[in-house]
Amino acid sequence: MPGRGKLIAVIGDEDTCTGFLLGGIGELNKNRKPNFLVVEKDTSITEIEETFKSFLARSDIGIILINQFIAEMIRHAIDAHMQSIPAVLEIPSKEHPYDASKDSILRRAKGMFSAEDFR
Amino acid sequence: MTEMRVDQHNRLDAQLLLFMDQLEALEEKRHKLNSLIEEGWFSIAKARYSMGNKQVSVLQYASEMEPLVHVEASLLEGGTAEFKCERRENKTEEPKNNTVEDIGAKETGLRRRINTKQKGVKEEEQETDPQVKTKAESSTPEHRDPLKWFGILVPQNLKQAQSAFKEVITLSAEIASLQSAILATRKEMQMKEKQEKTQPEIKEE
Repeated sequence: MPGRGKLIAVIGDEDTCTGFLLGGIGELNKNRKPNFLVVEKDTSITEIEETFKSFLARSDIGIILINQFIAEMIRHAIDAHMQSIPAVLEIPSKEHPYDASKDSILRRAKGMFSAEDFR
Repeated sequence: MTEMRVDQHNRLDAQLLLFMDQLEALEEKRHKLNSLIEEGWFSIAKARYSMGNKQVSVLQYASEMEPLVHVEASLLEGGTAEFKCERRENKTEEPKNNTVEDIGAKETGLRRRINTKQKGVKEEEQETDPQVKTKAESSTPEHRDPLKWFGILVPQNLKQAQSAFKEVITLSAEIASLQSAILATRKEMQMKEKQEKTQPEIKEE
């Protein structure tokens, strides 16, 4: 069954969020929580993790875009996410270029999650 | 017996080739995505340079936003997810059609305002309709284009950033679909490898 139009969420630094919001993915109103989080120097890891988990719990989010350096902070939470929807996509940031060896999805594809191989 | 094994090997080989093709496609799309994102940041930086540091920041975000892009997510057989990007650009045409009618109504409304004393109630009724329509029009297009958060006349760089990020969003949906397909292919390969390992034991017996 095809899903209804879902949102794209973003967890990123200021310029990343500004760019994607310019692209038109942002949702912000009094009734619902926003589908983006601007991560600044003083943003706590707890807040990032809670936001990420809240995005996973929402049924109206299809894709979560996250800067890779932020993904590194909550790597355990991202690795624990095994469902196909929402999809988690790691993107580079200005100071941290994309590193394929750190990407959860690619690591899984290479079979580095050895526990699954032995199930 | 041996034919079956040859078939299984062939299937596994085909699966592996598919996996490699998917990885190659993913790498290409990733590369394009990364360069588009960098292009977008660069354009934002140029716009910030011309407009001022505080003119392109979180402070400019609207207090209410409506998403213009949606993603249709569908689960295929085998647990693969497919994502298709849909952008609400067609709706801007509808208010344009309405404006043709409403400008006329506005003008008649404006003209009648001069003679409000004589017409009274009838005017109010007729004015509410264009007012409602104009409010809807004024709220939706301004509400919709995030470029307008940064001012009415924005530099070309900001528009370039917007178009770069729009392309990034479309590409993200494709990459998400490809990632899901890659994981599904990997799972299938693992299952077939396990089957191969168990089957020779049975055949030996």
